[in-house]
Amino acid sequence: MSPLERHLTELSAALHTRGRVRRRFLRECEDHLRTAAAERGEAEAVRAFGPACEIAAAFDAEVAGRRSVWAALLAVAGVLAVGGSTLALIHAASPAATPAIPWAVAFFVAAQLAGVAAALALLQALAMRREQVAPGDVLLLVRRSGVALLAAAAAELSAGGAVAGKGSALLLLAGPALAVAAGVAVLRVRRLARQLAAAGGARPLRPPLEDLGMLAGVHLPAVEPSRLLPLVTALAMAAAFVRDRAEQGTAGQALLHAGVEGVAVVACFIALGPVLGLRRRVAELAT
Amino acid sequence: MRADLRGHLDGLLLAVLAEQPGHGYQLSQRLTRRSGGDLGVPEGSLYPALHRLERGGLVTSAWDDGDGRHRRVYRLTSAGRRAAERSRREWRAFSAAVDRVMGEPA
Repeated sequence: MSPLERHLTELSAALHTRGRVRRRFLRECEDHLRTAAAERGEAEAVRAFGPACEIAAAFDAEVAGRRSVWAALLAVAGVLAVGGSTLALIHAASPAATPAIPWAVAFFVAAQLAGVAAALALLQALAMRREQVAPGDVLLLVRRSGVALLAAAAAELSAGGAVAGKGSALLLLAGPALAVAAGVAVLRVRRLARQLAAAGGARPLRPPLEDLGMLAGVHLPAVEPSRLLPLVTALAMAAAFVRDRAEQGTAGQALLHAGVEGVAVVACFIALGPVLGLRRRVAELAT
Repeated sequence: MRADLRGHLDGLLLAVLAEQPGHGYQLSQRLTRRSGGDLGVPEGSLYPALHRLERGGLVTSAWDDGDGRHRRVYRLTSAGRRAAERSRREWRAFSAAVDRVMGEPA
């Protein structure tokens, strides 16, 4: 086997990417190497091309980045569609139905979690469109997309458990159908990203303000999300209080609901912060 | 001297594509010619970078049989032209600042 053939074989073996984009990349590389070999000889062409494993890893990371952005955009569309189906389900419920409190709490928590995770995924996907991405960032985007989809599904399930009624099957199932398609895309990228990030390492912390600043073209102060937690919690509690009062709830009820909202925000931040790239795990802080 | 300029590869590719469209090998030859052979970028790393620029909408590509060979030819989009100009401006400002520090002995 010639040095050129050996290099192409190594490149092909090192690539994790499959499908059309892989064939295009290998064809471009082969054409490049053959043209260079005709001008400078095989040994020099192979040397100038660079190590096969490094080039393959860079290409795999690029493909994973591109696919994760599309999967995230599809996941956001899936979350919106599930939201639409959930609203259709709620409007189809009997007006006299009284929702069971556990289901109602689960619905509000899951719906807000889906919204936050989808917003984080959308911001990151838009910011990643033009940047050179690391496998850790791809995995984070996959996790944010996955959490958004799962939370949206949990919200629709909770709404179904909270209020009984009849609705159009098409409306109720359209959202979950799109969410399943998005879930498949997310899982495919996850497999590729996990192969690339096999070396492991700490989970990346990616504050949404940095992504927002990059998209807006302005420099925003690098504030860790944990420092914003008191402000975000206070705003969420205030919004819950105002919403309850607007729906003719008593001041006592509104205060109770605001308290539940505050506890839910802090609990979600503690439990899901590392998964969503908003805070480090305690074990990682210690090292 | 062979400088390692991997972090600037996107800007370099935009600059050589602003000259005229080309396939990967032509672009690597332009980089070598315009730098006098001083840029230590592995030629294979051009392809992940070209795919990244395409993802960002700065470059488009299509198969071309122009010279009797089936090759992928890359060209700048209008967003790519603006990005090339911005990258050039930023590099000039950066190199001028470094030059002011490094150019004069203390």
